[in-house]
Amino acid sequence: MNDLANTTPDTIPPEAKLVLDRIDQDRRRFKVNLVIAFAVLLVGLFAAMVIIGLDFKFMFNWLGFIMTGIGYTLLVSFLAIALACILAVIGALGRLSSNPIANSLATGYVSLIRGTPLLVQVYMWYLALPQVGMALEEMGIQGVQRLFTLPAIPAGVLALGVCYGAYMTETVRAGIQSIKIGQTEAAKALGMTPRQTLRRVIFPQALRVIIPPVSNEFIAMIKDSSLVSLMGVWELSYRAIKIGRRYFQSLEMLVMVAMIYWVMCIILQYIQERIENHMARGDRRVS
Amino acid sequence: MPENKMMKDKQPMIRIDNLHKVFGRDLHVLRGIDLEVKSGEVVVILGPSGSGKSTLLRCINFLEEPTAGSIEVDGVAISAGERGKERDAHILQIRKKAGMCFQSFNLFPHMTAIENIIEGPVTVLGRSRKESIPYAEELLEWVGLTDKRDEHPSRLSGGQQQRVAIARSLAMKPKVMLFDEPTSALDPELVGEVVDVMERLADEGMTIIAVTHEMHFAGDVADRVFIMDDGNWIEEGPPEEIFTNPKHSRSRQFLAHILK
Ligand SMILES: Nc1ncnc2c1ncn2[C@@H]1O[C@H](COP(=O)(O)OP(=O)(O)OP(=O)(O)O)[C@@H](O)[C@H]1O
Ligand SMILES: [Mg+2]
Repeated sequence: MNDLANTTPDTIPPEAKLVLDRIDQDRRRFKVNLVIAFAVLLVGLFAAMVIIGLDFKFMFNWLGFIMTGIGYTLLVSFLAIALACILAVIGALGRLSSNPIANSLATGYVSLIRGTPLLVQVYMWYLALPQVGMALEEMGIQGVQRLFTLPAIPAGVLALGVCYGAYMTETVRAGIQSIKIGQTEAAKALGMTPRQTLRRVIFPQALRVIIPPVSNEFIAMIKDSSLVSLMGVWELSYRAIKIGRRYFQSLEMLVMVAMIYWVMCIILQYIQERIENHMARGDRRVS
Repeated sequence: MPENKMMKDKQPMIRIDNLHKVFGRDLHVLRGIDLEVKSGEVVVILGPSGSGKSTLLRCINFLEEPTAGSIEVDGVAISAGERGKERDAHILQIRKKAGMCFQSFNLFPHMTAIENIIEGPVTVLGRSRKESIPYAEELLEWVGLTDKRDEHPSRLSGGQQQRVAIARSLAMKPKVMLFDEPTSALDPELVGEVVDVMERLADEGMTIIAVTHEMHFAGDVADRVFIMDDGNWIEEGPPEEIFTNPKHSRSRQFLAHILK
Protein backbone atom coordinates (compact mmCIF):
# COMPACT_ATOMS: atom_id res chain seq x y z
CA MET A 1 0.00 0.00 0.00
CA ASN A 2 2.64 2.43 1.15
CA ASP A 3 4.95 1.53 -1.70
CA LEU A 4 2.29 2.10 -4.24
CA ALA A 5 1.52 5.53 -2.87
CA ASN A 6 5.20 6.46 -2.95
CA THR A 7 6.07 5.26 -6.43
CA THR A 8 2.98 6.61 -8.12
CA PRO A 9 2.12 9.78 -6.25
CA ASP A 10 0.74 11.58 -9.26
CA THR A 11 -1.23 8.99 -11.24
CA ILE A 12 -4.90 9.57 -11.69
CA PRO A 13 -6.67 6.36 -10.62
CA PRO A 14 -8.34 4.37 -13.44
CA GLU A 15 -11.84 4.83 -12.06
CA ALA A 16 -11.32 8.60 -12.23
CA LYS A 17 -10.33 8.24 -15.88
CA LEU A 18 -13.72 6.69 -16.51
CA VAL A 19 -15.44 9.67 -14.94
CA LEU A 20 -13.36 12.10 -16.98
CA ASP A 21 -14.14 10.16 -20.16
CA ARG A 22 -17.82 10.32 -19.39
CA ILE A 23 -17.65 14.10 -18.88
CA ASP A 24 -15.95 14.46 -22.27
CA GLN A 25 -18.49 12.18 -23.87
CA ASP A 26 -21.40 14.13 -22.40
CA ARG A 27 -19.94 17.37 -23.64
CA ARG A 28 -19.51 15.99 -27.15
CA ARG A 29 -22.98 14.50 -27.15
CA PHE A 30 -24.45 17.85 -26.12
CA LYS A 31 -22.76 19.57 -29.06
CA VAL A 32 -23.93 16.95 -31.53
CA ASN A 33 -27.48 17.09 -30.19
CA LEU A 34 -27.47 20.85 -30.43
CA VAL A 35 -26.47 20.75 -34.09
CA ILE A 36 -29.12 18.11 -34.79
CA ALA A 37 -31.79 20.18 -33.06
CA PHE A 38 -30.92 23.25 -35.09
CA ALA A 39 -30.89 21.24 -38.31
CA VAL A 40 -34.33 19.81 -37.55
CA LEU A 41 -35.60 23.29 -36.81
CA LEU A 42 -34.30 24.64 -40.09
CA VAL A 43 -35.70 21.75 -42.09
CA GLY A 44 -39.03 22.23 -40.34
CA LEU A 45 -39.01 25.91 -41.20
CA PHE A 46 -38.23 25.15 -44.80
CA ALA A 47 -40.91 22.47 -44.95
CA ALA A 48 -43.43 24.92 -43.59
CA MET A 49 -42.54 27.33 -46.36
CA VAL A 50 -43.02 24.62 -48.95
CA ILE A 51 -46.33 23.55 -47.46
CA ILE A 52 -47.84 27.01 -47.49
CA GLY A 53 -46.79 27.13 -51.11
CA LEU A 54 -44.27 29.93 -51.21
CA ASP A 55 -43.26 30.92 -54.71
CA PHE A 56 -39.53 30.34 -54.46
CA LYS A 57 -38.88 31.29 -58.05
CA PHE A 58 -40.47 34.68 -57.48
CA MET A 59 -38.37 35.12 -54.38
CA PHE A 60 -35.20 34.19 -56.17
CA ASN A 61 -35.91 36.59 -59.03
CA TRP A 62 -36.27 39.54 -56.73
CA LEU A 63 -33.47 38.56 -54.35
CA GLY A 64 -30.89 40.77 -56.07
CA PHE A 65 -33.14 43.82 -56.06
CA ILE A 66 -34.00 43.44 -52.39
CA MET A 67 -30.41 42.76 -51.40
CA THR A 68 -29.25 46.08 -52.86
CA GLY A 69 -31.24 47.65 -50.03
CA ILE A 70 -28.79 46.11 -47.54
CA GLY A 71 -26.34 48.87 -48.41
CA TYR A 72 -28.71 51.54 -47.07
CA THR A 73 -29.59 49.48 -44.04
CA LEU A 74 -25.96 48.96 -43.09
CA LEU A 75 -24.97 52.54 -43.91
CA VAL A 76 -27.70 54.01 -41.74
CA SER A 77 -27.10 51.51 -38.93
CA PHE A 78 -23.34 51.95 -38.76
CA LEU A 79 -23.44 55.74 -38.89
CA ALA A 80 -26.24 55.82 -36.33
CA ILE A 81 -24.52 53.45 -33.92
CA ALA A 82 -21.29 55.44 -34.21
CA LEU A 83 -23.20 58.63 -33.39
CA ALA A 84 -25.02 56.83 -30.57
CA CYS A 85 -21.75 55.64 -29.03
CA ILE A 86 -20.31 59.15 -29.01
CA LEU A 87 -23.50 60.60 -27.54
CA ALA A 88 -23.66 57.80 -24.98
CA VAL A 89 -20.16 58.48 -23.67
CA ILE A 90 -20.77 62.23 -23.49
CA GLY A 91 -24.20 61.62 -21.98
CA ALA A 92 -22.85 59.22 -19.36
CA LEU A 93 -20.11 61.65 -18.33
CA GLY A 94 -22.79 64.33 -18.09
CA ARG A 95 -25.03 62.14 -15.98
CA LEU A 96 -22.14 61.47 -13.60
CA SER A 97 -20.87 65.03 -13.66
CA SER A 98 -21.04 67.29 -10.65
CA ASN A 99 -21.43 70.26 -12.98
CA PRO A 100 -25.12 71.22 -12.74
CA ILE A 101 -25.41 72.34 -16.37
CA ALA A 102 -23.82 69.21 -17.84
CA ASN A 103 -25.76 67.02 -15.47
CA SER A 104 -29.16 68.54 -16.17
CA LEU A 105 -28.56 68.61 -19.94
CA ALA A 106 -27.68 64.93 -19.98
CA THR A 107 -30.53 63.96 -17.68
CA GLY A 108 -32.99 65.98 -19.77
CA TYR A 109 -31.73 64.41 -22.97
CA VAL A 110 -32.17 60.89 -21.68
CA SER A 111 -35.56 61.61 -20.20
CA LEU A 112 -36.97 63.36 -23.27
CA ILE A 113 -35.73 60.86 -25.82
CA ARG A 114 -36.65 57.78 -23.83
CA GLY A 115 -40.03 59.29 -23.12
CA THR A 116 -41.09 59.74 -26.75
CA PRO A 117 -41.70 57.20 -29.53
CA LEU A 118 -38.92 56.74 -32.05
CA LEU A 119 -41.46 57.13 -34.84
CA VAL A 120 -42.33 60.63 -33.63
CA GLN A 121 -38.66 61.49 -33.35
CA VAL A 122 -37.99 60.37 -36.92
CA TYR A 123 -40.69 62.70 -38.20
CA MET A 124 -39.38 65.47 -35.95
CA TRP A 125 -35.99 65.39 -37.63
CA TYR A 126 -37.39 65.02 -41.10
CA LEU A 127 -40.55 67.13 -41.16
CA ALA A 128 -40.63 69.36 -38.08
CA LEU A 129 -37.05 70.58 -38.15
CA PRO A 130 -37.45 72.47 -41.48
CA GLN A 131 -40.39 74.26 -39.92
CA VAL A 132 -38.19 75.35 -37.03
CA GLY A 133 -35.72 76.57 -39.63
CA MET A 134 -38.42 78.55 -41.34
CA ALA A 135 -39.44 80.20 -38.10
CA LEU A 136 -35.85 81.12 -37.34
CA GLU A 137 -35.38 82.44 -40.85
CA GLU A 138 -38.38 84.71 -40.38
CA MET A 139 -36.74 86.00 -37.23
CA GLY A 140 -33.89 87.10 -39.47
CA ILE A 141 -31.27 84.35 -39.27
CA GLN A 142 -30.19 83.67 -42.85
CA GLY A 143 -29.80 80.21 -44.30
CA VAL A 144 -31.09 78.16 -41.35
CA GLN A 145 -33.99 76.75 -43.20
CA ARG A 146 -31.76 75.09 -45.76
CA LEU A 147 -29.50 73.85 -43.01
CA PHE A 148 -32.43 72.39 -41.11
CA THR A 149 -34.01 70.71 -44.10
CA LEU A 150 -32.36 67.33 -43.93
CA PRO A 151 -32.31 64.71 -46.66
CA ALA A 152 -33.80 61.39 -45.64
CA ILE A 153 -30.61 59.53 -44.80
CA PRO A 154 -28.98 62.16 -42.55
CA ALA A 155 -32.34 62.67 -40.86
CA GLY A 156 -32.61 58.92 -40.29
CA VAL A 157 -29.07 58.66 -38.94
CA LEU A 158 -29.69 61.56 -36.57
CA ALA A 159 -33.01 60.21 -35.38
CA LEU A 160 -31.67 56.71 -34.73
CA GLY A 161 -28.33 57.88 -33.35
CA VAL A 162 -29.84 60.40 -30.95
CA CYS A 163 -32.46 57.93 -29.80
CA TYR A 164 -30.11 55.00 -29.25
CA GLY A 165 -27.58 57.40 -27.72
CA ALA A 166 -30.06 58.13 -24.95
CA TYR A 167 -30.64 54.48 -24.14
CA MET A 168 -26.94 53.73 -24.35
CA THR A 169 -26.15 56.67 -22.07
CA GLU A 170 -27.73 54.68 -19.30
CA THR A 171 -25.82 51.55 -20.31
CA VAL A 172 -22.50 53.40 -20.30
CA ARG A 173 -23.30 55.11 -17.02
CA ALA A 174 -24.12 51.78 -15.40
CA GLY A 175 -20.91 50.33 -16.86
CA ILE A 176 -18.81 53.12 -15.41
CA GLN A 177 -20.54 52.85 -12.05
CA SER A 178 -19.99 49.10 -11.94
CA ILE A 179 -16.23 49.63 -11.60
CA LYS A 180 -15.24 49.39 -7.95
CA ILE A 181 -14.32 52.60 -6.16
CA GLY A 182 -10.98 51.00 -5.23
CA GLN A 183 -9.89 51.29 -8.86
CA THR A 184 -10.43 55.03 -8.88
CA GLU A 185 -8.67 55.34 -5.55
CA ALA A 186 -5.67 53.35 -6.71
CA ALA A 187 -5.42 55.55 -9.80
CA LYS A 188 -5.74 58.72 -7.75
CA ALA A 189 -3.18 57.50 -5.25
CA LEU A 190 -0.71 57.06 -8.12
CA GLY A 191 -1.25 60.72 -8.96
CA MET A 192 -3.54 60.38 -11.98
CA THR A 193 -5.84 63.24 -12.87
CA PRO A 194 -9.57 62.47 -13.17
CA ARG A 195 -9.22 62.44 -16.94
CA GLN A 196 -6.31 60.00 -16.88
CA THR A 197 -8.22 57.82 -14.44
CA LEU A 198 -11.17 57.62 -16.81
CA ARG A 199 -9.08 56.93 -19.87
CA ARG A 200 -6.63 54.43 -18.44
CA VAL A 201 -8.56 52.69 -15.66
CA ILE A 202 -12.32 53.17 -15.83
CA PHE A 203 -13.16 53.08 -19.54
CA PRO A 204 -11.15 49.98 -20.44
CA GLN A 205 -12.88 48.06 -17.66
CA ALA A 206 -16.31 49.54 -18.28
CA LEU A 207 -16.03 48.64 -21.96
CA ARG A 208 -16.01 44.98 -21.06
CA VAL A 209 -19.27 45.37 -19.17
CA ILE A 210 -20.82 47.54 -21.86
CA ILE A 211 -20.10 45.50 -24.97
CA PRO A 212 -22.84 42.87 -24.63
CA PRO A 213 -25.67 45.40 -24.10
CA VAL A 214 -24.30 47.67 -26.83
CA SER A 215 -24.20 44.76 -29.27
CA ASN A 216 -27.78 44.14 -28.31
CA GLU A 217 -28.66 47.73 -29.14
CA PHE A 218 -26.86 47.44 -32.43
CA ILE A 219 -28.82 44.36 -33.38
CA ALA A 220 -32.03 46.19 -32.50
CA MET A 221 -30.84 49.17 -34.52
CA ILE A 222 -30.33 47.09 -37.67
CA LYS A 223 -34.03 46.38 -37.56
CA ASP A 224 -35.16 49.84 -36.49
CA SER A 225 -33.20 51.28 -39.39
CA SER A 226 -36.16 50.19 -41.53
CA LEU A 227 -37.86 53.31 -40.15
CA VAL A 228 -35.92 55.41 -42.66
CA SER A 229 -38.19 53.88 -45.28
CA LEU A 230 -40.82 56.23 -43.84
CA MET A 231 -38.88 58.99 -45.51
CA GLY A 232 -38.72 57.17 -48.80
CA VAL A 233 -35.29 55.58 -48.58
CA TRP A 234 -35.27 52.38 -50.58
CA GLU A 235 -33.76 50.21 -47.88
CA LEU A 236 -34.23 46.51 -47.31
CA SER A 237 -37.72 46.23 -45.90
CA TYR A 238 -39.12 49.05 -48.02
CA ARG A 239 -38.12 47.23 -51.17
CA ALA A 240 -39.61 43.99 -49.98
CA ILE A 241 -42.90 45.59 -49.04
CA LYS A 242 -43.12 47.53 -52.31
CA ILE A 243 -42.48 44.49 -54.48
CA GLY A 244 -44.74 42.29 -52.40
CA ARG A 245 -47.61 44.70 -52.77
CA ARG A 246 -47.08 45.26 -56.45
CA TYR A 247 -47.26 41.54 -57.31
CA PHE A 248 -49.61 40.51 -54.54
CA GLN A 249 -46.98 38.24 -53.08
CA SER A 250 -46.30 39.98 -49.81
CA LEU A 251 -45.80 36.74 -47.91
CA GLU A 252 -42.84 35.70 -50.08
CA MET A 253 -41.22 39.09 -49.79
CA LEU A 254 -41.76 39.39 -46.05
CA VAL A 255 -40.39 35.93 -45.37
CA MET A 256 -37.39 36.70 -47.50
CA VAL A 257 -36.62 40.04 -45.89
CA ALA A 258 -37.08 38.52 -42.44
CA MET A 259 -34.52 35.86 -43.33
CA ILE A 260 -32.08 38.47 -44.57
CA TYR A 261 -32.36 40.45 -41.31
CA TRP A 262 -31.97 37.28 -39.35
CA VAL A 263 -28.79 36.28 -41.15
CA MET A 264 -27.35 39.76 -40.64
CA CYS A 265 -28.08 39.57 -36.94
CA ILE A 266 -26.57 36.10 -36.65
CA ILE A 267 -23.39 37.44 -38.21
CA LEU A 268 -23.37 40.37 -35.78
CA GLN A 269 -23.92 38.06 -32.86
CA TYR A 270 -20.99 35.96 -33.97
CA ILE A 271 -18.80 39.08 -34.11
CA GLN A 272 -20.03 40.10 -30.66
CA GLU A 273 -19.02 36.73 -29.23
CA ARG A 274 -15.57 37.02 -30.76
CA ILE A 275 -15.08 40.48 -29.26
CA GLU A 276 -16.28 39.33 -25.86
CA ASN A 277 -13.91 36.39 -25.84
CA HIS A 278 -11.11 38.67 -26.82
CA MET A 279 -11.91 41.16 -24.05
CA ALA A 280 -12.27 38.45 -21.42
CA ARG A 281 -8.66 37.29 -21.73
CA GLY A 282 -7.57 39.06 -18.55
CA ASP A 283 -10.17 37.67 -16.22
CA ARG A 284 -10.21 34.00 -16.87
CA ARG A 285 -8.36 31.69 -14.62
CA VAL A 286 -8.41 28.84 -17.06
CA SER A 287 -7.70 29.54 -20.68
CA MET B 1 5.01 67.06 22.83
CA PRO B 2 7.33 64.11 22.35
CA GLU B 3 7.65 64.86 18.62
CA ASN B 4 9.57 67.99 19.45
CA LYS B 5 12.80 66.19 20.14
CA MET B 6 13.29 65.21 16.52
CA MET B 7 12.25 68.53 15.08
CA LYS B 8 15.82 69.61 15.50
CA ASP B 9 17.16 66.67 13.47
CA LYS B 10 15.76 67.88 10.21
CA GLN B 11 12.58 68.91 8.45
CA PRO B 12 10.03 66.14 8.95
CA MET B 13 8.96 64.18 5.89
CA ILE B 14 5.36 64.36 7.03
CA ARG B 15 3.83 66.94 9.28
CA ILE B 16 0.17 66.74 10.24
CA ASP B 17 -1.17 69.57 12.28
CA ASN B 18 -4.44 69.54 14.21
CA LEU B 19 -6.23 67.39 11.62
CA HIS B 20 -9.98 67.02 11.89
CA LYS B 21 -12.25 64.97 9.71
CA VAL B 22 -16.01 65.19 9.91
CA PHE B 23 -18.16 62.90 7.76
CA GLY B 24 -21.58 64.26 6.94
CA ARG B 25 -22.34 67.07 9.34
CA ASP B 26 -21.55 65.53 12.68
CA LEU B 27 -19.61 62.27 12.44
CA HIS B 28 -16.41 63.58 14.00
CA VAL B 29 -13.91 60.85 13.09
CA LEU B 30 -10.53 62.56 13.49
CA ARG B 31 -10.35 64.96 16.41
CA GLY B 32 -7.26 67.06 16.10
CA ILE B 33 -4.50 64.66 15.10
CA ASP B 34 -0.86 65.82 15.20
CA LEU B 35 1.88 63.69 13.71
CA GLU B 36 5.40 64.27 12.53
CA VAL B 37 7.38 61.59 10.77
CA LYS B 38 10.96 62.17 9.80
CA SER B 39 12.70 60.78 6.77
CA GLY B 40 13.43 57.07 7.02
CA GLU B 41 11.25 56.58 10.04
CA VAL B 42 8.80 53.66 10.33
CA VAL B 43 5.58 54.43 12.15
CA VAL B 44 2.90 51.87 12.95
CA ILE B 45 -0.62 52.93 13.85
CA LEU B 46 -2.81 50.63 15.92
CA GLY B 47 -6.29 51.04 17.25
CA PRO B 48 -9.73 49.51 17.48
CA SER B 49 -11.95 49.18 14.44
CA GLY B 50 -13.64 52.45 13.53
CA SER B 51 -11.18 54.59 15.46
CA GLY B 52 -10.17 56.48 12.30
CA LYS B 53 -6.87 54.89 11.23
CA SER B 54 -7.80 54.47 7.57
CA THR B 55 -9.34 57.91 7.48
CA LEU B 56 -6.08 59.42 8.72
CA LEU B 57 -3.99 57.63 6.07
CA ARG B 58 -6.47 58.60 3.37
CA CYS B 59 -6.33 62.23 4.44
CA ILE B 60 -2.56 62.25 3.97
CA ASN B 61 -2.90 61.69 0.22
CA PHE B 62 -6.26 63.46 0.04
CA LEU B 63 -8.39 60.47 -0.87
CA GLU B 64 -10.41 62.01 1.94
CA GLU B 65 -10.82 65.73 2.22
CA PRO B 66 -9.61 66.96 5.64
CA THR B 67 -12.17 69.15 7.34
CA ALA B 68 -9.67 71.20 9.34
CA GLY B 69 -5.96 71.32 9.94
CA SER B 70 -3.02 71.01 7.59
CA ILE B 71 -0.91 68.33 5.98
CA GLU B 72 2.62 68.62 4.69
CA VAL B 73 4.44 65.93 2.74
CA ASP B 74 8.08 66.52 1.84
CA GLY B 75 7.71 70.27 1.80
CA VAL B 76 4.36 70.42 0.00
CA ALA B 77 1.79 71.80 2.43
CA ILE B 78 -1.98 72.01 2.07
CA SER B 79 -4.41 73.41 4.58
CA ALA B 80 -8.02 72.24 4.80
CA GLY B 81 -10.37 74.71 3.23
CA GLU B 82 -7.98 75.85 0.51
CA ARG B 83 -9.43 75.74 -2.97
CA GLY B 84 -8.39 76.26 -6.53
CA LYS B 85 -5.95 75.15 -9.20
CA GLU B 86 -2.85 75.56 -7.10
CA ARG B 87 -4.22 73.29 -4.42
CA ASP B 88 -5.19 70.62 -6.97
CA ALA B 89 -1.63 70.73 -8.28
CA HIS B 90 -0.30 70.35 -4.74
CA ILE B 91 -2.51 67.32 -4.19
CA LEU B 92 -1.08 65.67 -7.29
CA GLN B 93 2.43 66.47 -6.05
CA ILE B 94 1.70 64.89 -2.69
CA ARG B 95 0.24 61.80 -4.34
CA LYS B 96 3.39 61.38 -6.40
CA LYS B 97 5.47 61.58 -3.23
CA ALA B 98 3.27 59.26 -1.16
CA GLY B 99 2.59 55.75 -2.41
CA MET B 100 -0.36 53.88 -0.95
CA CYS B 101 -1.10 50.20 -0.48
CA PHE B 102 -4.67 49.15 0.10
CA GLN B 103 -6.14 46.28 2.02
CA SER B 104 -7.85 45.08 -1.17
CA PHE B 105 -4.77 45.54 -3.43
CA ASN B 106 -6.75 47.36 -6.15
CA LEU B 107 -4.51 46.25 -8.98
CA PHE B 108 -5.81 47.17 -12.42
CA PRO B 109 -7.35 43.88 -13.60
CA HIS B 110 -7.10 44.69 -17.30
CA MET B 111 -3.33 45.04 -17.12
CA THR B 112 -0.60 42.46 -16.56
CA ALA B 113 1.75 42.74 -13.59
CA ILE B 114 4.37 44.64 -15.53
CA GLU B 115 1.76 46.92 -17.11
CA ASN B 116 0.39 47.72 -13.67
CA ILE B 117 3.85 48.71 -12.52
CA ILE B 118 4.69 50.97 -15.46
CA GLU B 119 1.25 52.59 -15.44
CA GLY B 120 2.26 55.34 -13.01
CA PRO B 121 5.52 56.30 -14.71
CA VAL B 122 3.93 56.21 -18.18
CA THR B 123 0.62 57.95 -17.48
CA VAL B 124 1.51 60.23 -14.59
CA LEU B 125 5.16 61.01 -15.24
CA GLY B 126 4.89 60.88 -19.03
CA ARG B 127 7.75 58.42 -19.55
CA SER B 128 7.78 56.05 -22.50
CA ARG B 129 6.89 52.42 -21.92
CA LYS B 130 10.32 51.36 -23.08
CA GLU B 131 12.27 53.47 -20.65
CA SER B 132 9.94 52.48 -17.77
CA ILE B 133 10.26 48.75 -18.21
CA PRO B 134 13.80 48.11 -16.89
CA TYR B 135 13.07 49.67 -13.49
CA ALA B 136 9.68 47.92 -13.37
CA GLU B 137 11.43 44.60 -13.98
CA GLU B 138 13.92 45.41 -11.27
CA LEU B 139 11.03 46.04 -8.86
CA LEU B 140 9.33 42.81 -9.88
CA GLU B 141 12.52 40.96 -9.10
CA TRP B 142 12.82 42.83 -5.81
CA VAL B 143 9.38 41.61 -4.74
CA GLY B 144 10.24 38.15 -6.07
CA LEU B 145 7.76 37.93 -8.92
CA THR B 146 9.88 37.98 -12.05
CA ASP B 147 8.10 34.87 -13.30
CA LYS B 148 4.68 36.56 -13.03
CA ARG B 149 5.70 39.48 -15.24
CA ASP B 150 2.99 38.94 -17.85
CA GLU B 151 0.20 37.54 -15.71
CA HIS B 152 -3.04 39.36 -15.10
CA PRO B 153 -3.93 39.95 -11.42
CA SER B 154 -6.76 37.41 -11.53
CA ARG B 155 -4.14 34.69 -11.86
CA LEU B 156 -2.10 35.81 -8.86
CA SER B 157 -2.57 34.86 -5.24
CA GLY B 158 -3.51 37.60 -2.77
CA GLY B 159 0.05 37.83 -1.49
CA GLN B 160 1.41 38.09 -5.01
CA GLN B 161 -1.14 40.75 -5.90
CA GLN B 162 -0.18 42.80 -2.87
CA ARG B 163 3.50 42.54 -3.78
CA VAL B 164 2.76 43.74 -7.32
CA ALA B 165 0.72 46.57 -5.80
CA ILE B 166 3.71 47.56 -3.67
CA ALA B 167 5.95 47.48 -6.75
CA ARG B 168 3.39 49.61 -8.61
CA SER B 169 3.63 52.26 -5.89
CA LEU B 170 7.41 52.06 -5.74
CA ALA B 171 7.67 52.64 -9.50
CA MET B 172 6.76 56.26 -8.79
CA LYS B 173 9.85 56.51 -6.56
CA PRO B 174 7.79 57.78 -3.62
CA LYS B 175 9.29 59.45 -0.57
CA VAL B 176 6.76 57.85 1.77
CA MET B 177 4.74 54.65 1.72
CA LEU B 178 1.33 54.45 3.35
CA PHE B 179 0.08 50.95 4.15
CA ASP B 180 -3.53 50.43 5.17
CA GLU B 181 -3.81 46.91 6.61
CA PRO B 182 -1.95 45.41 3.66
CA THR B 183 -2.16 41.88 5.02
CA SER B 184 -5.60 41.67 6.57
CA ALA B 185 -7.28 40.40 3.40
CA LEU B 186 -4.71 37.61 3.07
CA ASP B 187 -4.79 33.98 4.08
CA PRO B 188 -2.47 33.53 7.08
CA GLU B 189 0.16 31.63 5.10
CA LEU B 190 0.50 34.52 2.64
CA VAL B 191 0.98 37.26 5.23
CA GLY B 192 4.68 36.55 5.66
CA GLU B 193 5.70 37.27 2.07
CA VAL B 194 4.11 40.72 2.18
CA VAL B 195 5.46 41.63 5.62
CA ASP B 196 8.86 40.52 4.38
CA VAL B 197 8.70 43.00 1.50
CA MET B 198 7.63 45.76 3.89
CA GLU B 199 10.55 44.97 6.17
CA ARG B 200 13.05 45.13 3.35
CA LEU B 201 11.54 48.43 2.31
CA ALA B 202 12.07 49.72 5.84
CA ASP B 203 15.66 48.42 5.80
CA GLU B 204 16.32 50.39 2.64
CA GLY B 205 15.37 53.56 4.46
CA MET B 206 11.86 54.18 3.16
CA THR B 207 9.66 56.39 5.30
CA ILE B 208 6.65 54.27 6.21
CA ILE B 209 3.35 54.84 7.93
CA ALA B 210 1.57 51.53 8.33
CA VAL B 211 -1.75 50.60 9.81
CA THR B 212 -1.22 46.95 10.59
CA HIS B 213 -1.92 44.47 13.30
CA GLU B 214 1.13 42.40 12.37
CA MET B 215 2.72 42.49 15.78
CA HIS B 216 6.05 41.30 14.47
CA PHE B 217 6.28 44.29 12.12
CA ALA B 218 5.10 46.69 14.81
CA GLY B 219 7.46 45.26 17.41
CA ASP B 220 10.66 44.70 15.44
CA VAL B 221 10.54 47.14 12.56
CA ALA B 222 8.64 50.19 13.77
CA ASP B 223 10.55 53.08 15.27
CA ARG B 224 7.42 54.40 16.91
CA VAL B 225 3.96 52.99 17.53
CA PHE B 226 0.83 55.10 17.88
CA ILE B 227 -2.48 53.93 19.26
CA MET B 228 -5.59 55.71 18.11
CA ASP B 229 -8.93 55.68 19.83
CA ASP B 230 -11.95 57.70 18.80
CA GLY B 231 -9.93 59.94 16.54
CA ASN B 232 -7.25 60.81 19.07
CA TRP B 233 -3.82 59.42 19.92
CA ILE B 234 -4.00 57.74 23.27
CA GLU B 235 -0.49 56.33 23.23
CA GLU B 236 2.73 56.89 21.34
CA GLY B 237 6.31 55.80 21.73
CA PRO B 238 8.87 53.16 20.82
CA PRO B 239 7.27 49.71 20.47
CA GLU B 240 9.03 48.12 23.44
CA GLU B 241 7.63 50.83 25.68
CA ILE B 242 4.12 50.70 24.24
CA PHE B 243 3.82 46.94 24.37
CA THR B 244 5.34 46.41 27.79
CA ASN B 245 4.14 49.47 29.59
CA PRO B 246 1.10 51.17 28.11
CA LYS B 247 -0.01 54.20 30.09
CA HIS B 248 -3.65 54.39 29.16
CA SER B 249 -6.17 51.84 30.38
CA ARG B 250 -7.88 51.86 26.96
CA SER B 251 -4.63 50.93 25.27
CA ARG B 252 -3.99 48.17 27.79
CA GLN B 253 -7.41 46.73 26.96
CA PHE B 254 -6.80 47.05 23.26
CA LEU B 255 -3.32 45.50 23.38
CA ALA B 256 -4.54 42.67 25.58
CA HIS B 257 -7.18 42.04 22.95
CA ILE B 258 -4.88 41.92 19.92
CA LEU B 259 -1.95 40.22 21.61
CA LYS B 260 -4.36 37.68 23.11
N1 LIG C 1 -16.82 57.72 3.45
C1 LIG C 1 -17.32 57.69 4.70
N2 LIG C 1 -18.52 58.25 4.97
C2 LIG C 1 -19.02 58.23 6.22
N3 LIG C 1 -18.42 57.67 7.26
C3 LIG C 1 -17.22 57.09 7.09
C4 LIG C 1 -16.62 57.07 5.79
N4 LIG C 1 -15.43 56.43 5.88
C5 LIG C 1 -15.31 56.08 7.18
N5 LIG C 1 -16.37 56.47 7.90
C6 LIG C 1 -16.56 56.27 9.34
O1 LIG C 1 -15.44 56.79 10.02
C7 LIG C 1 -15.11 56.00 11.12
C8 LIG C 1 -13.65 55.63 11.04
O2 LIG C 1 -13.44 54.78 9.95
P1 LIG C 1 -12.01 54.23 9.55
O3 LIG C 1 -12.20 53.42 8.32
O4 LIG C 1 -11.05 55.33 9.48
O5 LIG C 1 -11.69 53.30 10.79
P2 LIG C 1 -10.46 52.32 10.98
O6 LIG C 1 -9.79 52.75 12.24
O7 LIG C 1 -9.64 52.26 9.77
O8 LIG C 1 -11.19 50.97 11.24
P3 LIG C 1 -10.83 49.48 10.74
O9 LIG C 1 -9.82 48.95 11.71
O10 LIG C 1 -12.13 48.75 10.84
O11 LIG C 1 -10.31 49.59 9.34
C9 LIG C 1 -16.06 54.82 11.10
O12 LIG C 1 -17.08 55.08 12.04
C10 LIG C 1 -16.61 54.81 9.71
O13 LIG C 1 -17.93 54.33 9.73
MG1 LIG D 1 -9.30 50.80 8.25
